[in-house]
Amino acid sequence: MMDLTILAKYPFLNNSREYIKKNGPSVKDLLESLVYERARIIGIERLDNAFKNRDVGERSLATETDCIMELLSYPIARMIAVCVGDNFFKRRYALGEAYHAYKNLINEQTSFLIKVSKEFNLNVKYAEENKRIKIHFKDYLRNAPTRYKEWKMINRDMEKGYIYVSHKELARLLEEALRRKINKDLDSRECDETIYKVFSSEISRFQNMVMIHRKKMRTTPIGKLSVEKLPPCIKNLLSAIQAGENVPHMGRFAVVAFLNSLKLSVDEIMKIFSSAPDYEEDKTRYQVEHITGSISSTSYSPLGCEKMRTYGICPEEQIDEICKKIRHPLNYYYRKWRQKEKEEKTSTKEETGL
Amino acid sequence: MNSFESQKSLEFLKNSFREYYEKNRMALLPDRFGRREFAFTFFGGKGMLRHLSFSKKKDFIDFLKERVPAHAYYSSAYYQKPDAPSMQQKNWMGAELIFDLDSDHLPNAEKLSYTEALEQVKKEFKRLVEEFLLQDFGFDEKHLELYFSGGRGYHCHVKDPMVFDLDSNERREIVDYITGRDLRDTIIFRQYVSERRQYGRRIYSGIKTLRMPTPDQPGWKGRISRGIIEIVNEIKKSRDPIKKLQEYGVKKRNAEKLIRDLSDERVRRIKNGLLDQSKTIRSFFLNSALRKTAVALSAGETDEPVTCDTKRLIRLPYSLHGGTGLRVTKLDIDDLEEFNPLVDAVVFDDRPIRVRLLQPIKMEMNGENHKLQTGIQDVPRYLAVFLVGKKMAVVA
Repeated sequence: MMDLTILAKYPFLNNSREYIKKNGPSVKDLLESLVYERARIIGIERLDNAFKNRDVGERSLATETDCIMELLSYPIARMIAVCVGDNFFKRRYALGEAYHAYKNLINEQTSFLIKVSKEFNLNVKYAEENKRIKIHFKDYLRNAPTRYKEWKMINRDMEKGYIYVSHKELARLLEEALRRKINKDLDSRECDETIYKVFSSEISRFQNMVMIHRKKMRTTPIGKLSVEKLPPCIKNLLSAIQAGENVPHMGRFAVVAFLNSLKLSVDEIMKIFSSAPDYEEDKTRYQVEHITGSISSTSYSPLGCEKMRTYGICPEEQIDEICKKIRHPLNYYYRKWRQKEKEEKTSTKEETGL
Repeated sequence: MNSFESQKSLEFLKNSFREYYEKNRMALLPDRFGRREFAFTFFGGKGMLRHLSFSKKKDFIDFLKERVPAHAYYSSAYYQKPDAPSMQQKNWMGAELIFDLDSDHLPNAEKLSYTEALEQVKKEFKRLVEEFLLQDFGFDEKHLELYFSGGRGYHCHVKDPMVFDLDSNERREIVDYITGRDLRDTIIFRQYVSERRQYGRRIYSGIKTLRMPTPDQPGWKGRISRGIIEIVNEIKKSRDPIKKLQEYGVKKRNAEKLIRDLSDERVRRIKNGLLDQSKTIRSFFLNSALRKTAVALSAGETDEPVTCDTKRLIRLPYSLHGGTGLRVTKLDIDDLEEFNPLVDAVVFDDRPIRVRLLQPIKMEMNGENHKLQTGIQDVPRYLAVFLVGKKMAVVA
């Protein structure tokens, strides 16, 4: 049996789940009994922290009770997140759990990290001969933030299909794997009626929080941009970024270059990204400034439809009549402008005609 | 060329191809053929017939025999409904990883003859397979299928089930690795500071040296190191090192400076893994070693490497290439060196065919030298198909 502190720190592990199954209370007790009041409070705290600080937060694990309450708070938080039923909220919660795990994982022994990797089905090995950790390139590709140059495969040592990583880097890869795992888990579950009843006031509080957050985003006008005139591809990317989904580098690039062509300022573009759950101001600013040419010699032009398609960011199922007529997303926007103007003209004509 | 001749030429190609497809039935069936989309173009026809699928072997063989396509393609992807008219209805299940190397993408392609160009692509292809796919990526030989494309290049299909669900971003990372994109020089060349020294009371900081990776290091580090040593040797051995450098694209003035800087002492230091900090030397070596060792992959219509596209069509193995009459031929890794497309991918006999040559030709095909002037003459059928396909001759 693993140490109870470990189980509490990493409640997503199989051992932790098994422990709850074997020693934990019934669902009824967990939801109603006064004994588990603290676990329920921590569960809600996890969600609050994840939403506000992108980290589910650290609590004391000094006593056995501390550990058990912490451990039990995890399934409670998850069940509530499902019931809040908002993608942005769920993504943000998953990120908060994953980031918190990362912060703990970097302080563990490498052998523990390797054990966790196995549980996540990552092909990770410890090479005795040179005392280095290596991971199969496919698992690396799936979980590494390759949009950063230092994470690109080419800047890594690769040999016979395995890429060498440091202890800290492995923790980072585990963070991403965990985030994806929790996202998938949250998406596959349905809200349980009992949970909904027990936590109904908390759930509506969270839903309100998300709504206020959304409104704040919406009421900050993005320059002269008219959102309803955006082509489906850019609209999709924007909502994915704001929902905190893992938008690939090319997608982010496409959005920035597109908005830059519509004469949005760096700050205005930054505002859009700022609502992403994994937003980091300095890095985003650097990249936006790079693409828009304010710190580099070139200002990149936005991708055309063909390129969007090859990068797999053209939502082919959402192609509409205007899409069929154009070959560049910018033209979609211009066409919509003209359409709107025409409509307005004809309507004013009708008015004066009367 | 009159329309009668061109009609006759098309008939000639079509009849020859039909003969081949009748004789070679089974070899043409690709694995998982029921899950793949097929596409064809026809002699004299415009456009491409797409979204076809076959559930019975016989239907497929009959199709080839009856319609006799000029070019035949199949999808590297597997679909639930390969014949659905749109991509999303097909329901993608996974795709092989495809590498397409074509001589069009060589830097000096237009200056090379067909044979020379093929020879150069082969070298690059060999490097792709041996150094990258087998060595770095560690793919098993049994999962790699190599083909001569029938045209100007080579294809490699990676059929390791592990790659089937890679998305296009992940495939792009693999492409970036192979083409040498975004390689960081600070990762290749590491700065070392030798020990600090103390003289009396003052401490002097050590000397900074830039270390180059050693040739036996894995991945790009070793590759760059080997490239640099090779270039240094080439320059040192060459009679006219300045000219040699110009071949590498260095301007004359910089070349002269570089040669002046590249003293015997410096060469010795480079071979020992110490790369002096002269910026010109460093960037010259990194860039030339990169160009020397990276692989240029062919791009599709949108200038995107074929490899990234998860819904790509690729030439059907064992089919004939309508522009050359050569067969898309499967190769063993060990036979790659010896493979000569103008012998090993030739499928037609030497029955004489009367053609009118539109330009003089000089080439070796099927082990024979052909040096021919323009005008009407008899040539062996394999050559006739090749020349007519390449529009260098018409059937008279």
